[in-house]
Amino acid sequence: MADITEIKHRIKSIQDTHQITKAMELISVAKMRKAIQKQSFSSAYFDSVRYTLKDIMRHSTDIRHPYIDRRPDNRTAYIVVAGDKGLAGAFNNNVLNLAWEHMQQRPVHYIVTIGQMARAYFESRKQQVDLEFTHAVASPTLHDARGVTRDILDLYDRNLMDEVYVVFTRMYSTSVHEPVMVKLLPIAEEDIEADLNTDYSGQIDYDPSPNEVLNVLVPQYLIGMIYSALIHSAASEHAARMLAMSSANKNAEKMLDALNLEYNRLRQSAITTELLDLSSGRFFSDNNLHQKVRHKNGKSR
Amino acid sequence: MNTFFLEIITPEKTFYRGEVESINIPALGGACSVMAGHQPMVFATEPGVIRITENGKTREAFMSEGFVEVRPDETIAFSQAVEWPEDINERRAEEAKERAEEQLRRNRSAAEYRLNRQALARAFARLRVKHHNYMDGE
Repeated sequence: MADITEIKHRIKSIQDTHQITKAMELISVAKMRKAIQKQSFSSAYFDSVRYTLKDIMRHSTDIRHPYIDRRPDNRTAYIVVAGDKGLAGAFNNNVLNLAWEHMQQRPVHYIVTIGQMARAYFESRKQQVDLEFTHAVASPTLHDARGVTRDILDLYDRNLMDEVYVVFTRMYSTSVHEPVMVKLLPIAEEDIEADLNTDYSGQIDYDPSPNEVLNVLVPQYLIGMIYSALIHSAASEHAARMLAMSSANKNAEKMLDALNLEYNRLRQSAITTELLDLSSGRFFSDNNLHQKVRHKNGKSR
Repeated sequence: MNTFFLEIITPEKTFYRGEVESINIPALGGACSVMAGHQPMVFATEPGVIRITENGKTREAFMSEGFVEVRPDETIAFSQAVEWPEDINERRAEEAKERAEEQLRRNRSAAEYRLNRQALARAFARLRVKHHNYMDGE
């Protein structure tokens, strides 16, 4: 059986950790809410961008744009979005492993990382990281998304890569988030996710021409894709951390219960021992007293 | 006068919602007005001034590049940035203008030229809205 002070120490340390995980859980909940709120603000805008772009690509045949033309798909660039910190369950590993596995099938690939964990992962596998963004993860803004998009397009324009994939964690609900891989460039109609749910199904005219409208839409679409990837990843990270922390909390509570029981049992048995000591000591001293008194009395008599 | 439902949306917020009589937009093919009963259409716009007429009163606002979707039931304008004159930071617009002009003088590549032209157009449009601002149909 363990020492009573040792158990006391363990209880103290688990209590401290419990407090930390509890605080982290609360923070994650708040941050996740914020990210989801941001997402809902921007989604109305980017959903229509996607929808309109898809509509143009479906109905207009003679459109031309450098980001739509196919290139021979040899050189693939991956934009991998992960978190800046760990302690979020399997969140980072899931998304990074997906990117890693896909990469192994490609002869030439470039890696663009967003987030510290992504960079650390590839560095530990002796895989060179070609471009990294470190500040865009914690609370992504449109400004960050624009910056990332501009840099990627710059590389794409210089004909350094044939296709660009974004690997990130998509959040379906608070408890369900999965790593996904989405093709960013070249833009193909089937890759654009948009529900064609409008009640108006007739032909829509484009002014001045479908191509000109497309020129405006394409950069917006790309920024929107990057932005939503960043936001989804941030929200998923916080959700994953929240889940990890809540299970850590439960675990800590269970351990505390077991340890407290053990501690009380030990304390009880210590008290019992002490009482036994006391009463036996008393018994002996009483006996001695009796003998002494008897002795005394005998003498005086 | 007939009215139609207008929404102006940016990625950050819904800038405007309401029944209006007309909206004047800086389309790529030249400025044009949309009124109730317009044919369904999508306009691409360049940075410039929009004029919204509501209850006989016309207000101006700055709108960055984007597109305007005219649907049978409503009209929706999408843009990266839309601002009322009172929300425009004149100093920032002035600085952006000077920066863009400076960059244009250097003129490194075609792509940069296009970017700077856009930035300059945005700055000019912001300044125009800020200074020439006729409110309440005066």
